[in-house]
Amino acid sequence: MRVLVTGAAGFLGRAVVRAAHAAGHDVVAMVRPTALGADTGPSLPWSDLPIQVVGADLRQPGPWVDEIDGVDAVVHVAAATSGDLPAQFAGTVTATENLLRALSTRSLRRMVHVSSFSVYDYTAVPVGGLLDERTPLEPLPRRRDAYTTTKLWQERLVREACEQAEHPLVVVRPGMIYGPGSDWDHGAAFSSPHLAFVFSPAAPFRLVHVTNCADAMVLSLTAEVASGSTFNLVDDDLPTHMEYFRACRSAGLTRRRAVPVPWRIIESVGRSTDLLDRQIPGRHLKLPELLELRRQRARWKPLRYTNEHAKRSLEWVPKVQMADAVIAMEKESG
Amino acid sequence: MNGFGAAPLRTGVLGCGAIAHEHLEYLESSPLADLVSVGDRSPAARRFAADRYRVPATDAEAPDLLARDIDVVHICTPPATHPALVAMALEAGVNVVCEKPLAPSADAAGELLELAASRGLMLVESQNLRWNDPVLAIDRLAGSGRLGEVRDVEVSLWFDLTDGPFGDPNLTGPGVDLPAGAVHDFLPHLSYLFLHHAGHSGSVDEVVGRLENLSGNPRVGYDHLDALIVAGSVRGRIRVCSDVAPDGFRIAVRGTRGGVETDLYQPYLRLQDEGDTGIGAPIEQLWSGLRLVGASVTNLGGKVLRHGGYHGIPRMLEAVYTAIATGGPSPVPPSWILSTALLNDRLAGLATDRTEAPS
Repeated sequence: MRVLVTGAAGFLGRAVVRAAHAAGHDVVAMVRPTALGADTGPSLPWSDLPIQVVGADLRQPGPWVDEIDGVDAVVHVAAATSGDLPAQFAGTVTATENLLRALSTRSLRRMVHVSSFSVYDYTAVPVGGLLDERTPLEPLPRRRDAYTTTKLWQERLVREACEQAEHPLVVVRPGMIYGPGSDWDHGAAFSSPHLAFVFSPAAPFRLVHVTNCADAMVLSLTAEVASGSTFNLVDDDLPTHMEYFRACRSAGLTRRRAVPVPWRIIESVGRSTDLLDRQIPGRHLKLPELLELRRQRARWKPLRYTNEHAKRSLEWVPKVQMADAVIAMEKESG
Repeated sequence: MNGFGAAPLRTGVLGCGAIAHEHLEYLESSPLADLVSVGDRSPAARRFAADRYRVPATDAEAPDLLARDIDVVHICTPPATHPALVAMALEAGVNVVCEKPLAPSADAAGELLELAASRGLMLVESQNLRWNDPVLAIDRLAGSGRLGEVRDVEVSLWFDLTDGPFGDPNLTGPGVDLPAGAVHDFLPHLSYLFLHHAGHSGSVDEVVGRLENLSGNPRVGYDHLDALIVAGSVRGRIRVCSDVAPDGFRIAVRGTRGGVETDLYQPYLRLQDEGDTGIGAPIEQLWSGLRLVGASVTNLGGKVLRHGGYHGIPRMLEAVYTAIATGGPSPVPPSWILSTALLNDRLAGLATDRTEAPS
């Protein structure tokens, strides 16, 4: 298939490009104009591959609308992961709206949309419970953050547009994507020069290696599944936060000493600030993630995760194991 | 019913970008306003705003929103669209709150103000920083006479205009389609704060300086302004610097008996008056240090309580809605808007060696 990959120069996008190419697809890689390196020449991460590149910023319509003619499928990776709400709204929601408008008159064999675990309602599952594709979506995104808000809206737009245009859709929701260049601070919530504070040390860390994640997305292009299907992507045999930290430390990625902070302590602090918040009518306190109960739960609440649905339906086998991955990350960083 | 025994004013908001959310936060909770519709050409943007602020309707086009029998419309669209939308709203008999700048030139602003006057409608340019705590504190000091006769006003904005959407090299077209480029988006704030603290009617005798593009980024148009101003017995300076860090927005007002300075981004107040010389100087420094510590605690509390840099907007809107509801005078009278626009023109006229923005 001729597959358009948006966000193709990003951490996940570049892995999707390689995986799609390796699977025999004809890839059209969409990157922002600055990634093309107009002054210095192309330095794209897959410039060794015979891939068509489209320079585009999806926040604005432009020539890219015509340049994506003839694609059979889309893997929509592009999204803003930082910035305030207006910046993330533009980079995630407006960008997706423009892409969907451009695709609305075209016929697609498959749309693969990259959503996120951040869209789930983490208060809906008890401690130790299983969070899977049936878990409800966050009903109070204003109490979370700009990323959750915009990813929820993005997914909503994609589902509506694909239904209207009759584009067969698969939504994938990856966990914490890691690999060379993205180590999630080795599992620490925050660090000092010598110490790493590892929250919820015994809780499973919902990691998915970037290569495994990209493989699942490419499989989603051709899997025989119902339109609108959703798949959570996490690796097999998830480590705990502390096990991941120790693996990173053993591999030489960090020399810090771990300070484990149990979930009960974190939650107690969160409950205290939540109680304080409720005493101030009409105003929601703005606190860091470390102190805000709803956001704490989304990040560190001890839950179980499963990849069974994705493995069974997509015939996905997460090949990269954490032990090998951290060694490769250390080599890459060294 | 609102507090004045009348029905809340039926309100619409055109443009659902970043600044519109500051207006919508107020409108959602105010008993003076009944939010009727939000308008934006982006379906996602208007649906998001409607969902977030519980607005019952949305519109893609301005005429549709204005046809909803509304009393007030907020124009929060990109600056270049303001004159046409404001005129359309006034022709439709609707009071207008317009984000700054109202128009790209004083001539255009004057025409809109005349149109509003001829229709008996209120036209307000958002001059929200007048209602920010530090500005009000300086007003109180000046009003108490502790500064004496104001002689010197300095308004300096240190903010990287090339960062963010104004200068984003991935986007095409000018970041801000106004004569002074990205600087122009902030000019009204700088101009009205200068004129406000200078305490006069707005006539400016002389403006010299430079408006330049120092970054070479073509999308910003201009990113640097340094202007010296003489306005009667008051001298002053207005600056915009994009190439220094960290961000800051400093106001310094000095008079014949004392001076005061503040920063609107990290608010504090330092007051020095006649007694702060000789042995009084170290004592003043000690007090200033203690006030600075107090300001840091207040600022931290402000961040937690979401009392940010836009906290003047709800106060300004409260004053506007009260004035409309009671038939009182505008809290941002036409003379303020016009004098601001005239000084904007003078500052925009300092342009040198403009790097042409892409079309």
